[in-house]
Amino acid sequence: MASRYDRAITVFSPDGHLFQVEYAQEAVKKGSTAVGIRGTNIVVLGVEKKSVAKLQDERTVRKICALDDHVCMAFAGLTADARVVINRARVECQSHKLTVEDPVTVEYITRFIATLKQKYTQSNGRRPFGISALIVGFDDDGIPRLYQTDPSGTYHAWKANAIGRSAKTVREFLEKNYTEDAIANDNEAIKLAIRALLEVVQSGGKNIELAIIRRNQPLKMFSAKEIELQVSEIEKEKEEAEKKKSKKST
Amino acid sequence: MAATFFGEVVKAPCRAGTEEEEEEDDEGRRETPEDREVRRQLAKKREVRLLQGQTKTSLEVPLLEKYPCSKFIIAIGSNAVAFLSSFVMNSGVWEEVGCTKLWNEWCRTTDTVHLSPTEAFCVFYRLKSNPSIFLCQCSCYVAEDQQYQWLEKVFGSCPRKNMQITILTCRHITEYKTPEAPSSLPSPFLKALKTQTYKDAVCCSLLEQPNIAHDLPAAVLSYCQVWKIPAVLYLCYTDVMQLDLVTVEAFKPALSSRSLAGLAKNIPQSTEMLKRLMTTSEIQSNIYT
Repeated sequence: MASRYDRAITVFSPDGHLFQVEYAQEAVKKGSTAVGIRGTNIVVLGVEKKSVAKLQDERTVRKICALDDHVCMAFAGLTADARVVINRARVECQSHKLTVEDPVTVEYITRFIATLKQKYTQSNGRRPFGISALIVGFDDDGIPRLYQTDPSGTYHAWKANAIGRSAKTVREFLEKNYTEDAIANDNEAIKLAIRALLEVVQSGGKNIELAIIRRNQPLKMFSAKEIELQVSEIEKEKEEAEKKKSKKST
Repeated sequence: MAATFFGEVVKAPCRAGTEEEEEEDDEGRRETPEDREVRRQLAKKREVRLLQGQTKTSLEVPLLEKYPCSKFIIAIGSNAVAFLSSFVMNSGVWEEVGCTKLWNEWCRTTDTVHLSPTEAFCVFYRLKSNPSIFLCQCSCYVAEDQQYQWLEKVFGSCPRKNMQITILTCRHITEYKTPEAPSSLPSPFLKALKTQTYKDAVCCSLLEQPNIAHDLPAAVLSYCQVWKIPAVLYLCYTDVMQLDLVTVEAFKPALSSRSLAGLAKNIPQSTEMLKRLMTTSEIQSNIYT
């Protein structure tokens, strides 16, 4: 049945599916994992870095991009689609600032991206964007925000979420480990993001990229050394926890 | 021929057959010697050849007739192969006893003589400490017309019944038929399908109807069902068909089954080896990030 209703985006199937949108969600799963965490005073975005070819300039392969000074996003899915969406969002951020003389709120720019994506699910001859995005930032009121958009054009606020390959495994980990204690401290929120990624990342800390935004501070990208430090701290804590467990059992 | 609303041309069969059409068909059906030669060459190109261990000479008898076994584990697909490589082959000394070499349209080369191992080989190993335990690593695709040849060359036309077969393979989760939405399924997950004579417990739930097995795993299972050989297929539904850590680890419950029990000894080391396998086989593509 699917094969008769999945050619044109504007056609509903008899049971109400828009197959192109659902197939676009499969394209998202082909991108590497991205995780977003909303702490009390910090927002964290962690991604699994793509392996870069030897002759490729690493700086041009980016999954985390700033949309404005106070908003950044990570995506999973088709690279080219992400580039187009990011460019449009960046222009919109500046246009909003010029028109209204205020920076965009995180919700505003998320809604803009989601509306753009939805338009492409209802246009003739176009296909949906094959990306999901995690958008984080602080609004003027100082409240941290995390939103997720998907190819259908829906957006929701989250406390923590993951997109891309093995997102389900990461989300289950977050559901178990996201507690008010875990995110009260900035450092603990960062560790939670790295621990979530380590569940699914193929080769450990060197394939993780991390970005944080603290209240009233600009976006900070972690260097490889800083991430390695965090990873080794996490591994130490794991070992200690395992030692305690084995002591208790004996 | 008919044109649909979207302008695509669809070939629809005509039930009102006319005499003229039948005559035309007859002419088309008559085979010329040229056709026969092309067909013969194609059949030769697609022949499944069984080669012996290190010497790579042709083996004239079926593999399991030359090397009888009591346990035969077959891994089909990159994730199943990676699982056996890191968890089972890593925990013992295995010697290569033979391989099947075949070519079909799925191979990325048209050169049928110089084929790379992963493209066109199914490699067979035997445990040195217990030669009745056999393993097959099959990363290539065995086409429908080659499956019967493969079975004949490996099992023979009259196989022994006192052996147990375990097959491991993956399938994309979008092919799993269920009333639930695909996004709500706990991917990856394991399902089992077994022959009537397989009496041992399976380590996961059975594959529900109307889902079916496909390709070589289905061919092996059907063969075992016909010949009353106890066999079980562990099918992992995943949304990542390429080599993926989470998908490979989804096969772990199979280690508790009778056929694999005792074969995987060093689990932490196996997990390390798996991570190394992942890094060496990362495919670089710029389409998805």
